Amino acid sequence: MTVRPEGSRAAVPLLRGFSLGVTPLLHDLPVICAGLALFYALLSTTHYWLSPVTEHAEISLRLSALPKYAMFSVLRIAFAYGVSLIFSVIYGYVAAYNPKAERLMIPLLDTLQSIPVLSFLPGVMLAMISLFPTRELGIELGSILLIFTGQVWNMAFSFYSSLKNIPREMQEVAKVYRWSWWQRFNEIELPYAAIGLIWNSMMSVAGGWFFLIACEMFVLGDRDLRLPGLGSYLQTAANAGDTRAIVSGLGVMIGVIVLIDQCIWRPVIAWAEKFKFEQVEAAEAPQSLVLELLKRSKILPLIASTAIRPIGERMNLHFARKLQDATPDKSASESMKWITRVIVASAVAGIVYAFARMTTLLASLTGMELRGIFLGAGATFLRVELTLALAALWTIPVGVAIGLKPKLSAIAQPIAQIAASVPATALFPIILVALIRVRGGLGFGSIVLLLLGTQWYILFNVIAGAMAIPTDLKEVCSLFRFGTWERWRELLLPGIFPYLITGLVTASGGAWNASIVAEYVHLNGQTYSTIGLGAVISNATDRGNFRVLLAATIVMAALVVTINRLVWRRLYALAATKFKMEG
Amino acid sequence: MSVPTPESLRELASKGRWKPVVENLQKAGAAAAANLLKTLPFELQRSLFRRLPIDFAAELVPHFPYYHIYILLHSRLPGEMRSIVDEMEPVSRDDFLEELPEETWKHFMEELEQAPTEAAQAPEVAEPSIAPEAPAEIAEPAGIQAPIIEARHVEKNFLQPDGRQIQVIAPLDLSLESGTITALLGPSGCGKSSLLRILSGLAAPSAGEVLWHGTPMDRCSPNVAIVFQSFALFPWLSVLENVEGPLLARGMSHPERHRRALKALATVGLKGFESAYPKELSGGMKQRAGFARALAVEPEILFMDEPFSALDVLTAENLRGELMDLWLAKKIPTKSIFLVTHNIEEAVLLADRILVLGRNPARVRADFRVPLEQPRDRKSAGFLLYVDYIYKVMTQPELELAPPTAARAVSKAAYPMLPHARPGGVAGLLELLADRGGEEDMYHVAEELHLEVDNLLPIIEAATLLGFAKAREGDVDITPEGRSFVEADIPGRKILFRDAALANVPLLQQMHRALSSKSDHTIPLEFFHDLLDEHFSEDETRQQIETALNWGRWGEIFTYDPETDRLRLFESGQPENVSEEAPLH
Repeated sequence: MTVRPEGSRAAVPLLRGFSLGVTPLLHDLPVICAGLALFYALLSTTHYWLSPVTEHAEISLRLSALPKYAMFSVLRIAFAYGVSLIFSVIYGYVAAYNPKAERLMIPLLDTLQSIPVLSFLPGVMLAMISLFPTRELGIELGSILLIFTGQVWNMAFSFYSSLKNIPREMQEVAKVYRWSWWQRFNEIELPYAAIGLIWNSMMSVAGGWFFLIACEMFVLGDRDLRLPGLGSYLQTAANAGDTRAIVSGLGVMIGVIVLIDQCIWRPVIAWAEKFKFEQVEAAEAPQSLVLELLKRSKILPLIASTAIRPIGERMNLHFARKLQDATPDKSASESMKWITRVIVASAVAGIVYAFARMTTLLASLTGMELRGIFLGAGATFLRVELTLALAALWTIPVGVAIGLKPKLSAIAQPIAQIAASVPATALFPIILVALIRVRGGLGFGSIVLLLLGTQWYILFNVIAGAMAIPTDLKEVCSLFRFGTWERWRELLLPGIFPYLITGLVTASGGAWNASIVAEYVHLNGQTYSTIGLGAVISNATDRGNFRVLLAATIVMAALVVTINRLVWRRLYALAATKFKMEG
Repeated sequence: MSVPTPESLRELASKGRWKPVVENLQKAGAAAAANLLKTLPFELQRSLFRRLPIDFAAELVPHFPYYHIYILLHSRLPGEMRSIVDEMEPVSRDDFLEELPEETWKHFMEELEQAPTEAAQAPEVAEPSIAPEAPAEIAEPAGIQAPIIEARHVEKNFLQPDGRQIQVIAPLDLSLESGTITALLGPSGCGKSSLLRILSGLAAPSAGEVLWHGTPMDRCSPNVAIVFQSFALFPWLSVLENVEGPLLARGMSHPERHRRALKALATVGLKGFESAYPKELSGGMKQRAGFARALAVEPEILFMDEPFSALDVLTAENLRGELMDLWLAKKIPTKSIFLVTHNIEEAVLLADRILVLGRNPARVRADFRVPLEQPRDRKSAGFLLYVDYIYKVMTQPELELAPPTAARAVSKAAYPMLPHARPGGVAGLLELLADRGGEEDMYHVAEELHLEVDNLLPIIEAATLLGFAKAREGDVDITPEGRSFVEADIPGRKILFRDAALANVPLLQQMHRALSSKSDHTIPLEFFHDLLDEHFSEDETRQQIETALNWGRWGEIFTYDPETDRLRLFESGQPENVSEEAPLH
């Protein structure tokens, strides 16, 4: 390899691309088209966002409107995700490198992670609308903020724990050779955290759909705050009983989700293989057709070599030289210290003020209201646990069956994945219409709705657990002719236990969240509800009773956090020690 | 009393005026002369020793350690060497010969036999290249120039979670000079790596200071590089990018950086692998890339933290050889190398100077030069002499070889530690010893069992602690108790083990006493954990408990129930299927 100036190398692919004719151009066509489409989408969305607010959103059920709605939904998700990503990186970075902040930020993260976000939906929406009363932007920002709060915490935590787990020797390399913070970030921290961040992003975005659909369907009392999108389309279709629209709406949603998976996550995962922290090459690496396509493109390397690489080089050198020139004295950080102090002080002041306001508001709660909240909490608690039990009951045998038989899992896994990709909130209106026809009302119906949102987490984890059971242990079972019960007791249940717990923890969080939309439903201008904390929250929102809304939200958050601490964390510890499969 | 100072001696010697020096030494007397000589650089010692009259030399040598005597003697012609040995006091001579390891002793005896009584023959062993009268060799007196790195009273303490301080490194002084390879040896977990990190400026000492060319480390940017055991290459960067990383950090722009990195890669023989990713490379290639990255910055001192430990034996040997070739031919810009290793042979093979660290807390137990000619032969008598000597130092904690430091006096008596060996390992060692007639050199045992000294020492320590074996000057002997252990069947062995443990192991005695005194004969493990926590770091406490559990369960002293985390006194007839490797949790 010889040294060549950057410029001359950049010119080569360009010339070759044109001289060879059509085939390379074909390779670039998808990239160009994707770029143009993105540009159009941004333009039209900005236009819509700045349009004046409409009190009663007209949702058209025409098929031709679907692409537009799909685009709006996707853009909301994309915006929320972008904000989440930036926030996660900053939050994780500060928490990992500032021990003082870490002591506060990590428990906070832990708590925020387990708070059911949907309980904030009404409050956030109202706040945002009052912030931008004349533009659609308010509701839009509200929905984005909500999706953000739903997806950011696990990403932030993933980034933080990746930073904390960077092997000591890698950090020492950076230290002994005095890398600038930028080089450290660019060449160690971000690559090391990439895989965790990507997987958590996938999970977050999948969860984001759940909140997005809930936001898009949101109706507050007599104020119709629906947003044009797939969620509102599906709800309107269900209200109207328009089967064709329901089917096509669901089809488009599944299509969009599958498309995002294929065009974004798959290539990103395949690309991220190179960040895998392993010293030996894996035998089986994830592959992606789209990534191959992108790799064959001539435009992307051109952009990389003419724009990205020189900028990166300049950034690297800039920060490196700045560090070289800097004399190691401590006066420079004095101003930083003051800035931090001011930030911390104002944050503390804000918290104190909010807390004071909250207490005065809560003090005015009546006994009736309190009784309603606690009664509802009990009912929802029972409902959530019942849902988990029901879900476990069918997913454990099915999941183990799928996991143990590779042939079956090859067929069942993709089907289950598609089924699971549909956010439960999207199915709510459709199922409700069916449920309300059947007698039994929402008390029973809400369990079905909760089940819809939670069973998949358990199923997938059980499948993974069953697949991870070592073959030699299975052989021991057949060698000693274990009976069915013995087999389950001695091998299968202990084997899937850690996975089952993981699934149940996620499912439990999801169920609490879903209870807010499942226990209190607007349908065709009518309100259906059952006893439950979720219903109390939604009802309080409808009637504008803020003290009940606040109290119920706090009770729900406290309940979830307490259950996590007392039950799930212990089971987790047990799973990580006693039931860990060690090679 | 006109005892010449080392400085005056050095000055006279550097001018080639040997006569007054020798006269001065003789005047000072043998003991004082030996002390003076020890302060001089080794090359100078040898040159001086070569010029001493036979009788004075014979009087002088008993004041040196035996390995030092051996090397000094070999700086003389074979005939002279024989005369000196003949002239030595019989007691001192016997002591010296007694100390030599077996092979070296045999070899030495042959040399003496073959040596002509007073003829002039070329010296044949360690120093074939040195002509007897060559003043040129001391033209550049080594070790006189200022050290590159100087550590003054550095110590390292770790704060326990409960606020107590645990000393990991006792205050020590150390300086690294130009032109030497220094090896740091020590049992695992003794603080070798911590010391490397303090010297390289990666970690700050808890007390004391490290100077880089006379300036405190934290106020300058020392030009050092580190080669890691785990390679520490970034898997997402190509080999070239990995090597370029440190250069980029120095603000070097692209063409220059590229050129330097390619040069470094070519030096270590990785030409053609620039665009490969680390995971495509074998272990040896990865470490080559690690060396290239370190050499690319042209460090003044190259630090190496067990650089060959993660490689297989052949690859390691090959890489060591190539590194030495580069170093000896001065093809690398590095002025000094500091190597941390637990491999005794590696240290003797590479180093000009060896430091042996003791444990708990780390302190220098031995600091000596290895004046063997490069390239060194693993089978040569001089080589084996050093290997044997280091084994001796490492297995005899009571043997004090370094000058005592003030700090040791204040440190309280250390709590007796359990060596981390499993009963099965002890049994294996005893069986080998019984097979070999009961006595063996340690390095032979290590070879036989394919064990690194790191893994062997705890086993020997355990066997010694239990009274089954005795470590003596680099040898291990089996005791009568050890023999009956070997001859017993499994239940018999358990009984012998139990008796030996309760008679000799303070921690197990303590646990047994505590369990017996309780009416229900159970105690939570936590109790002992807290007990040990007073004396050891968190990690060490955990290991101590783990070893104690292993021994106690195997010897049927107590049983342990992980569910309740409690120990219960073992009662005969109580069934428990303990396997030796029973996991703790």
